[in-house]
Amino acid sequence: MTPPLALTALPQEQVATTPNPGGNALLDLVNKIGPPEWIPDWIVALHAVGAGVGILIGIVSLIAMYSVWMERKVSGHMQCRLGPMYAGGWHGWAQTIADGVKLLMKEDMIPTGADRVLFIIAPGIVLASIFGALVAFPISYDFYFARMDLGIFMILALGSTTTIGVIMAGWASNSKWSLYGAMREAAQVIAYEIPLGLALMAPLITLGTFSLLDASALQSDWFGMKWAIFTNPANLPAFVIFWIAALAETKRAPFDLPEAESELVAGFLTEYSGIRWSFFFMEEYAAMFLMSVIAAMFWFGGFESPATWALRSAGVEGGIFFGAVCFVTLVIKAFAGVFLMMWLRWTLPRVRIDQVMTMGYKYLTPLALLCVLIAAVSEAVKSLLF
Amino acid sequence: MVSTKEYFQNVWDALKTTAIGMRITGKYLMQKPITVQYPDERLPIPDRYRGIHYLEQEKCINCLACARACPIDCIEMDAIRHGKELEWVAFTLDYQKCMFCELCVYPCPKDCIHMGTEFALVTYDRSELNHDLLSFQGMGRGARIRMREAQAKKAAKEKAKAAAAAKKADTEKDADEPEAAGAGTGGDE
Amino acid sequence: MVEQTQEYKPSIQPSEEGRVLPSGEREFFFDVSTSDLEVNMGPQHPATHGVMRVLLRTDGELVTGAQPHLGYLHRGAEKIGENVEWLQYLPYTDRYDYLAAMNNNLGYSLAVEALMPGLEIPRRATLIRTICAELNRIASHLIAFGTYGLDIGAFTPFFYAFREREWIQALFEKICGARLTYSYIRIGGVFNEAPPGWLKEVEHFCDVFEEKWKEYYDLLALNHIFVMRTKDIGVITPEMAYDFGLTGPMLRGSGIDFDLRRDMPYMDYTEIWEAGAYQIPLGSGEKGTLGDCWDRFDVRVKEMIESIKIVRYCLGVIEPGPVLGDVPKVIKVPPGEAYVGIENPRGELGHYSHSDGGKVAVRCRVRGPSFVNLAVLEDLMPGTLLADSVAIIGSTDIVVGETDR
Ligand code: SF4
Ligand code: SF4
Repeated sequence: MTPPLALTALPQEQVATTPNPGGNALLDLVNKIGPPEWIPDWIVALHAVGAGVGILIGIVSLIAMYSVWMERKVSGHMQCRLGPMYAGGWHGWAQTIADGVKLLMKEDMIPTGADRVLFIIAPGIVLASIFGALVAFPISYDFYFARMDLGIFMILALGSTTTIGVIMAGWASNSKWSLYGAMREAAQVIAYEIPLGLALMAPLITLGTFSLLDASALQSDWFGMKWAIFTNPANLPAFVIFWIAALAETKRAPFDLPEAESELVAGFLTEYSGIRWSFFFMEEYAAMFLMSVIAAMFWFGGFESPATWALRSAGVEGGIFFGAVCFVTLVIKAFAGVFLMMWLRWTLPRVRIDQVMTMGYKYLTPLALLCVLIAAVSEAVKSLLF
Repeated sequence: MVSTKEYFQNVWDALKTTAIGMRITGKYLMQKPITVQYPDERLPIPDRYRGIHYLEQEKCINCLACARACPIDCIEMDAIRHGKELEWVAFTLDYQKCMFCELCVYPCPKDCIHMGTEFALVTYDRSELNHDLLSFQGMGRGARIRMREAQAKKAAKEKAKAAAAAKKADTEKDADEPEAAGAGTGGDE
Repeated sequence: MVEQTQEYKPSIQPSEEGRVLPSGEREFFFDVSTSDLEVNMGPQHPATHGVMRVLLRTDGELVTGAQPHLGYLHRGAEKIGENVEWLQYLPYTDRYDYLAAMNNNLGYSLAVEALMPGLEIPRRATLIRTICAELNRIASHLIAFGTYGLDIGAFTPFFYAFREREWIQALFEKICGARLTYSYIRIGGVFNEAPPGWLKEVEHFCDVFEEKWKEYYDLLALNHIFVMRTKDIGVITPEMAYDFGLTGPMLRGSGIDFDLRRDMPYMDYTEIWEAGAYQIPLGSGEKGTLGDCWDRFDVRVKEMIESIKIVRYCLGVIEPGPVLGDVPKVIKVPPGEAYVGIENPRGELGHYSHSDGGKVAVRCRVRGPSFVNLAVLEDLMPGTLLADSVAIIGSTDIVVGETDR
C-alpha cells in the first residue's frame, strides 16, 4: 500500500502504528485458540463470520433499542414531560423491548396493489446495508470485524445504499405519499453525499488515513486529547458541515422530509407496520450511531481520551480491560453525538425540499470545499513549520 | 440571486437562531418535568368540576325541572306518588348523550342534583353508560315512615271527618246515639 | 422551480371550463393535462387540523391546484338552535369552535341580549366575561402557535404552548368546572361568581406568561428555518383580504387595521381601548412580503400579549358585585332579530338570532370565521410546494368544527 499523499507529511513512526493491515480480529482469535487440525479452514472462517454477524446484530439491536429509549426520554424532558416511566420499572428502561415484542406480534400487512416482492425485501435491504456498513466499525484496537484501510469509504458507500431500500419501499407501497417520500429521499441523499464526503476530507487530510483504527491511534497524543478538531482550524467548520449533512443522510429532523409526518403522513413508511416498520427504525438509529462514530473517530479522538492515555502510560495496553475502556470511550462519544442529533431534532422545524437542495448545493458544498482547502493549506504550513 | 452579504447572513442567522433554540430546549431538559404521572398522582379536582351527576334522592320531588332544562333530554325519571311521598322507579341519566353542561343543576327547586368529581366513563358496553342515579329503589325509610304517618293522619282525619259527619247526621237525625264519636280514636297505631 | 411556478394560474379561472358533477359540484381537475397527480390530503391527515379534505393536484412537489372539501364534521348546530330553548343552545355553541368556547358563548349571549333591551348586565359580569374571553383567546392562539410549529415540523414549541394552555384550562376549570366546553358565559351574565383567589391566580398567570412568551418568540417565530419556511409563502394581499371577507388575524396579517373589539365595540372594549390598555398588532411584512404566513403567525403570537394587557386592565378595575342580571329561569326573548359579531380568535364570529317572542329561536345563524377564511386556500395554494401547502393551511388556523358546524 502506498500511503496517501498527505501521509508523507506525517512522521513515519505514527504511520507505523498499523502493523497488520487487513484482517479480522475474530478470525485471529479463533486461530489463536487453535481449532483441531481436521476442521477445514473455511469452516473456521465461516464460524468467525457467524460470530461476527451475531455480535453485530446484538450491538445494532442494543444501540437501536437504547437510542429509541434515549430519544423518548430526551424529547420528553425537553418538552417538560417524563417520557416512558412504567415498563421495566426504572424510568421505563424496558419500554423499547415491550414495543419490539408488540411490533413482532402485529399482523403483517401488505396493502393491496403493492409490489409484494419489493415491499418485502425493501426493509431487508435497508437493514442489510447498515449492517454492512457497521462491519467497519471497530469495537476496540484489537477487536474488530474487519480491518480496512479504506474503512471510511466502505461505511459511506454502504451507508448510502439504504437509499435504495427506501426508494424501493416508497415505490412498492403503491401509495402516493410513500412515493413522495421516496422521491424526496433520493433527491436529498444525492445532494448531501457530496458535502458529507467533502467535509470528511478535512480531518482525513489532517490525519492522513482512511482507516478508522489508524485515525484513532493518530490522535493519542496530548494526554489523549490530540483530537483532530483541535489540530486544524478547518476541522471545526468541517464538522458542522459534516454534521448537517449527516442529519440529512440519516433522515433526521430538520431533514426528515422523507417521513415528514405533517406533510406526507409518514412518507415512505406510510404503508409499513409491524416488524418491517421497525426495521426502518432500527436502520435510522443505527445510522445515527454510525454517523456519530465517524464523527467521534475522525474529529474527536476515537478511542482516545485521558482515560486511555492514563492506562497506556500505566503500561496497560492491549488486553480485555484496555479494550473495554476504549469501547466505552467510543460509545460515550458516539452517544454524545446521538444526543446532539436528538437535541437538534427537538429544537428545529423542518426545512422545505427546495431549501434542502439550496442548502446542500449552494451552501454546504462550497463551504465544504473551502474547508478542504483550508485544511490542506494549514497542513502544508504545519509540515513546513514543524 | 443572493448577494454575498445575504449569503453569509443566512449562514450566520441559521447558526445563531439554532443556538438560541437549543439553549431554550436545553434549559428545559435540565428542569423538572411538569407532567403528572396520572394514575399514581392526580391533580386536585376543583369543587366546581362538572363530572358525573349525583342525586340527593331524599330531597328530590320528581318535578322534572332538570329533565326539562336539559338540552338533549338525557334525564328520565319515573316515580309513583303516594301522597307527597315518592316511590322511585327510575332516575336515569344517559351519559352517551350528556354533555356535562350543568344546565340541569340550576333549575332544581330543591337543589338536589349536583355534578360530582367523578369523570371516568369507561365501560365495556354502551348500555352501561345509562346510569341510574338512584341510590335506592322504591321508597326511602324516612319517606316510608312519613308516608305511614301521613296515611295514618289522613285516615284519622278522614275518620274524624266521617265521625263528625256521622255525628252531624246523627244529631240531625237522632240525638240519642253518641258512641259513634268514640270509634274515631281506634285509628291511632 | 421558481420559474415554473409562474406558469400556473390560480386554480379556478372563471373562463376555464370545468366538468360539472351531477351533485352540482364543479370538478376542475380533469380539464388539464393528465400528468398531474391528484392526492387527497385528508380527511385523515395530520396537517388538516381535524377532518377536512383538500384535494391537491400536484406536479411532483409542486401544487398546481387545491380544492378544500368540507362537511365531515357537520352536526347541524344551527338547526338545533331552532329547536331548543334559548339557554339550552348555549352548550352547543361551545362545540363549533371548541378551542375558543368562551368566545362562542359570549357571541351567542350578546346576540340574544341584544334582543332583550331591558336586561342590564352587571359590570362585574362584563369584566369577568372579558377576562375569560381574552384568556380563551390566549389559549386558542397557543394552540395555533403550537400546531403551526407541528405543521412546520417543530415539535417542542407545541408542548410548551400546551403547558400554558393547560394552566388556562385549570383556571377555567376552577371557575366553571369544565376544561374545554365551558358553557360559562350565559345570557344575562355568567353562571358563577369567580371562586375566591381566582383573580389573583389569573394575575399570577399573566406574570408568568409574559416571560414565557418571549421564549416562544425566540424558539419558533425567529428561528431561521421557520422564517425561511413561512416568509413569502401564501401571500394574501390587502385587496385579496378584502375580497375574500377575511377577518381576524388573517386580515390583520395583511396589514389591514380592523379589529371588532375596537371598531364595532361590544361589552366594554371601548373603555379598555380608550384607556390605552391594548394595541392591535398588524402584519408588517417584516420578514418577507406583507401578508405572508409569517405575518399571520406573528399577529397571533403578538395578540396573546395584548390579551394579557386587557386581562390586566380588567383585573385592575374589577369590583365586587352581582354577576347575573335579572333573567327568568325560562328565557323568553322579545320578538325581533339581531346580529352581533365578536372578535373570536379566528375572526368575526357572528350570531344572528331571530325571535318571535317565544322560548325558542325562529332562526339561529352563525357566521363562522374559519369557514370564511378557508375560502382563500383555493387561491393561495396553487404554485406552492407541497410543504408550503401545509404551512398555508396551518396559517389559516381553522377549526374544522366551526367550518362545518
Ligand atoms: S349536564 Fe347538561 S346534558 Fe347532562 S343531563 Fe345535565 S343538562 Fe343534560
Ligand atoms: S329538578 Fe331537582 S327536584 Fe326536580 S326532578 Fe330534578 S333533581 Fe328532582
